[in-house]
Amino acid sequence: MRYYRTQGLVFLIPILVIVGIFYGMIVWNFVVAFTGWQGLQATWKFVGFYNFSRLFSLQRFWVNIGNNLRWLLFFITPTVFGGFVLAYLLNNLGRGEKILWQVFLFPMSLSFIITGVLWAWMYDPSSGLINSILRFLGVNTSRLGWIALPQTAVYCMIVAAFWQYLGFALVIYLGAIKGIPYEMVEAAKVDGASHFTVAFRVIFPNVGHATLICTTMLAITTVKVFDLVWVMTRGGPGVSTEVLPYLMYRLTFDSRDIGMGAATSIVILGFSAIMVIPYSLWALKKWVRV
Amino acid sequence: MKEKSFLLFSAVLIVVLSIVWMIPIYALLTTSLKTQEEVALQKYLTLPQRLQFSNFARAFQALKIGLRNSFIITLTATFIAVFVGSLAGYSLTSFNFRFATLLFFLIVVVTFLPYHIVLIPITHILKSLALLNTYAGLILIYTILSAPMATLITGTFFMKIPPELEEAAMLDGCKPFLFYLRILLPVSLPGLVSATILVFIQIYNEFLLGIALTRGPEVKPVMPFLAELKGTQIAQWHIQMAGALITSIIPVAVFIFLGKYFISGLMAGYGKG
Repeated sequence: MRYYRTQGLVFLIPILVIVGIFYGMIVWNFVVAFTGWQGLQATWKFVGFYNFSRLFSLQRFWVNIGNNLRWLLFFITPTVFGGFVLAYLLNNLGRGEKILWQVFLFPMSLSFIITGVLWAWMYDPSSGLINSILRFLGVNTSRLGWIALPQTAVYCMIVAAFWQYLGFALVIYLGAIKGIPYEMVEAAKVDGASHFTVAFRVIFPNVGHATLICTTMLAITTVKVFDLVWVMTRGGPGVSTEVLPYLMYRLTFDSRDIGMGAATSIVILGFSAIMVIPYSLWALKKWVRV
Repeated sequence: MKEKSFLLFSAVLIVVLSIVWMIPIYALLTTSLKTQEEVALQKYLTLPQRLQFSNFARAFQALKIGLRNSFIITLTATFIAVFVGSLAGYSLTSFNFRFATLLFFLIVVVTFLPYHIVLIPITHILKSLALLNTYAGLILIYTILSAPMATLITGTFFMKIPPELEEAAMLDGCKPFLFYLRILLPVSLPGLVSATILVFIQIYNEFLLGIALTRGPEVKPVMPFLAELKGTQIAQWHIQMAGALITSIIPVAVFIFLGKYFISGLMAGYGKG
């Protein structure tokens, strides 16, 4: 028996090494953020919060923060809300469900690069899909610049990401709604509750775990939109569509300001940890069967 | 009657919405088969007059090295990550170690933390190992980044296997590794497929490491190639769309034929098992 368990421990070694490397890299990154490392050669000169103060004094950094907040608000809210409403309607219909959710879900299997190439074309002011359809309908498109305009560019990208992730929220909610006791919904209906009441007063409070999953996962996705920004606008016009990972990349690989790049990573880490750690604690409870 | 009109309303709404959702794909498909002249007319919703498969040949020419690299890197890294992950998943769910819960928590956290935060150390490690711009380097990093997710997904599936199965095997003198290989893996094949699909798609679709860890085209994966295609073929929409289509064939095919496992993998990965 003991021999048997020892063998079980051996199976853990690779993942222990991998997890160790991951946390080691986070610590390493933390240390670098406090050094004056610039250029190719590592310099382990401790400079305190110098990198952070330089970062916070950058106008560009605050533009990035603003965009990250825009992504959080204007990407998550419509996706979660739309996914829930769509799941409710689909569940009610009880027909054609499978084909329909596949229509909405398949963009999830695409990479942000493919989505970006496709939507950059759709948004092209002079020869893109959207403006050419609008012109066909007789709309004057000379002022509709979409991603070419700093005021609208971020929101255009958010729409593209919304297109890609709506199906994700839909599937998560659909699974959750199916898990609700049928009698509960039926009782509310017998009492004469409207669809609005059933959806938002009876079902929504009972699918809190789905809302938690969607919100957290979509929030983490807003860090990964680096790819979308890269391929659609390269952060432009100006720096108007940059998000923090993009700034981190530019500082590290273009300016070779490793210390400041690492400081940006730490800001992103703080940002993500706020969401990931509580979520992991919650998820763990479900896994460990307490 | 009121109920009926509500159902009709939702059916119409959903159908209209799904058409809107498919328009980009429809336009992508038709545009990728048009000539430059047809594209210039900007009638994107009309069908092509004659199918221009040469667009695909041109796009494929520009992407083929990337596709080859992506195949080598993605298949190898996925195989290793799922192997390592499923071993760990088995170990964590079958043997009650003292620190199993803590380890599981640490694995969940790294699964969901965006890897962007460790890009700088990754680059530095590969540089000091002289693995920058090599297949081995990319495979190593993708394995490290994907194994935690594979652990999570396979572990969720392994938990559903009744412990009696293993007790019986143990009494018959079956060694843990043989149990894992001969009994556990075949019994929880759906979980293994789910983990493989999710890891595969994640690595195949990855972009940032592809540009940060490679120089020149030799080992660069396909997503950076597609991004470059957009940069070099400016306003050549038909070529760009053909390239996007070629690159998306694999993930979309996986989704169409193995969509069931894709979903159950998503569910397992997010703690709904």
